[in-house]
Formats: sequence, structure tokens, C-alpha cells
Amino acid sequence: MPLEILLVLVVGGIAGITLLLHLTGRSEPFVLTPETARDQWLRHAPDDTIIDVTVSNDRHAALVRTETGAGLLWSFGADTVARHLLDFDWIEHPEGFEIQFHDFGTPGTLIRLDEIERAHWRHLMEPE
Amino acid sequence: MTDQISFPDAVQWAVPFFVAAILAEFLWIAVKGKGGRYETRDAVTSLIMGAGNIASGFLLGFIAYGFFMWLWQITPLDLGTSIPVIILCFALDDFRYYWVHRFGHRIRWVWANHVNHHSSQHYNLTTALRQPWTYTFTLMMVVRAPLILIGFHPAMVLFVGGLNLIYQFWIHTEAIGKMPRWFEAVMNTPSHHRAHHGRNARYLDCNYAGVFIIWDKMFGTFVPEQENDRVDFGLVHNIGTFNPLRVAFHEWVGIWRDAIQPGLTLRQRLAYCFAPPGYSHDGSRESSEQIKAKHLARHPEDRGTPGFEHFDTKLPSGQAERV
Repeated sequence: MPLEILLVLVVGGIAGITLLLHLTGRSEPFVLTPETARDQWLRHAPDDTIIDVTVSNDRHAALVRTETGAGLLWSFGADTVARHLLDFDWIEHPEGFEIQFHDFGTPGTLIRLDEIERAHWRHLMEPE
Repeated sequence: MTDQISFPDAVQWAVPFFVAAILAEFLWIAVKGKGGRYETRDAVTSLIMGAGNIASGFLLGFIAYGFFMWLWQITPLDLGTSIPVIILCFALDDFRYYWVHRFGHRIRWVWANHVNHHSSQHYNLTTALRQPWTYTFTLMMVVRAPLILIGFHPAMVLFVGGLNLIYQFWIHTEAIGKMPRWFEAVMNTPSHHRAHHGRNARYLDCNYAGVFIIWDKMFGTFVPEQENDRVDFGLVHNIGTFNPLRVAFHEWVGIWRDAIQPGLTLRQRLAYCFAPPGYSHDGSRESSEQIKAKHLARHPEDRGTPGFEHFDTKLPSGQAERV
């Protein structure tokens, strides 16, 4: 196939499908509730025993305390990603916290929290 | 010895079909309200990975092709290009695919390339196009050497390899449940391949087939999709990025960081490169065998069911033992 035609097909195909998905509402992030956060955490870490779950007010992140330590669950597109809070940096951000994991495949995430939540989460995330 | 043989690049010619099929699957899901999920950034990442795979073929394909042409020069055998020979080549190349794919899940060096294909938590036709960029670095082209040495022309081998990939496109869907029983018995199908993409303990390291599922049945890696254990797509530890560069290279970076840790023996450094994914020198990570063992400890009722036939939980500290 001529390279120009291949290029048009690939670029046009990607652009068209992207537009179609976005315009039909396929860009909405996963919405967490305490129940779905619990289910999602156990999906990612089935060996854990959950103590409690704190869902952010924007419902896109949850702090999950387990018997082996705290973990962070957050919306990742229409799905979720979870990490135990073991090896990370915590950076203040005007909208909340930026959590940076030392992991090339999961570099980090921005947790949007209001002022009241921020103090509470800071308290929960501190090592015991 | 025939050098000047050309076959079409089947994958490139299939690109319009890929786009049309994705649109058809999307519309099917939208109309029926079932049969899979689409998410914008996930799909875009997959499509860019597919485009990058074609680009990497342009940039690095000459290495494998040069190797194959060198083999072709030294072999005294030439089976020609008749239709029966092409069909035989297709079947044998599928056998080659089974082993390369199995290596891709059991050798971390090869997994570093293949992992990106499994890095989506979705399973739709765009997932089929989430293809690696670093196949050349795995050196798995050597597994094709026997085909060329017994007389299959390199262009034909690459052509049937392309057909193999095109076949695998349509099985990346939740829109198709089960195919007729005879077809499920012989061919790789959406159901069999869904199981392969599962991160559930049951489905780890199963169904490596490309076109013919018989290879898995012959070599003991076949696990049928279970109605009572819905497939959860993705990786055991799902990645948190849509950045195609991070998707393509994250496991290579992981290998590098692991292997250069201070205080390791040479054996441990090599194990981080070539042992099955999940290896760690200090036992801080879990192999698929250990994950299965832990699952059986939590769910003893699953012992002996598909995916757990060869595992027991008797070893201490979650170490699984093949029985």
C-alpha cells in the first residue's frame, strides 16, 4: 500500500474514532462510591483486608486503609488503578495533592480535594 | 534458490478493515447496550500503539528480514510457493507463534515487549491493535529460523505471520459469545482469547494460541472461559498511564531498575531479566503460580477446576507447587 494512503488511513482512523468516542460520552471517568471503591480495591488487591474507605468529594479517588497499610485508588478512564502507599512522593497542589509513584508505568495522579478533605486525607495518609 | 519473491504486506492492507470493524463493534455495543465497553483514552492509546507498531516495522524490520534472508542464502532447501506450501507454512508458523507467545508470558525479557498488549483493562477491537514496538529487541525472530531453514521463503513466512495477526484481530471482542462447538474445539475464538487476557488467577498463563487452539490443548495450557468466573481484563498490577511511550517501555524500564540494584548476585540480575514475570530476589513479588496458590487458599472450592488443575497450596508462605 502506498505510504501516503496508509498514513491518511491511520491518522484519519485514529482521529475519527477518537472524535466519535468523545462525542458519544465515552470519556467520562469512573465514579467511586464507598461500595465500588471497596470492590475495586479488592479487585486489584484480593489478599487485603479493608479497614475503611474514604472517597473524595469529587468521587474520583479513594483512600483505602487496609491491615497492611494505606492505599490509593483512583479513576483511570472508565476503570480504576490502585497502589499501596509504600514508595511515593506527596506534593501539595492548588487543587489537592499530587501523588508521584516511583514507577514508570504508573507515574502518579492528581487527587482533587477541598480544604476540609485535604487536612483529613493528610492525617490518614501519614504513616502510623 | 529463489530470492525475488514478493507477497503483499497483509497487515497494511487490512487497516481499512480494522477501522470499519471497530466502528461496527462500537455501533453494535451502542445499539445493543452490551457486548463490551469503549473508553476514549484507552482506545486512542491502543490505536497509537498499533500505528507505532507499523512504524517500528518500517524502522527495525530490516534487522529480522536481513537475518531471514541470510538464512535463506545458506539453506539448500526451497519448498516453492504453491498453495499447499503456503497453507503448511501458515500452520507451522502458527505453531511458532504459540511458542513465541508462551515465551512472551514466561520470560520477562520477552514479556517486556508483549506486556503492552495486555495493558488495557478493556477488551474490544482496539485492544487487538495495542501492539508492541520493541519486538526486535526480544530476538524472538530466531524462533522463525527453522521455518526458513527447511525451505519456506522469508517473504512467505512474513506473509503468513501477517495473516495470523489479522485472524487474531476479530477475537478481541466481547460482542461474540461462543462460536459453534466444532469451531471452538479447533480454532482460537473470542471466548478462548478473552480468557487469555484475564488477570483472574484462573486465567493466568493460558491460551497462547494464535489461530489454532489445538496447540494449547496439546501442551496443557488450555483453560476454557468459565461462566462463573467472568474475565477481568488487564494486568495483575494494572498500569496507570495512557502515555504510549510509557506503555511501550515501562517493563523495559522495570527490568533495568531491578537488574541494576546494588548488592545483587549476577544470577539474581539475570533472573530479573529472564525469569518469569513476578520474580524477585527477596520474595516481595508474586509469580503466577503463587497468585494461583493464594487464590486456592482463599477459594479451596476452585481446586481442580480449569486453570487450577496442576496446582496445590500445601507449600508454606504461598509458594505454589505444580503437581
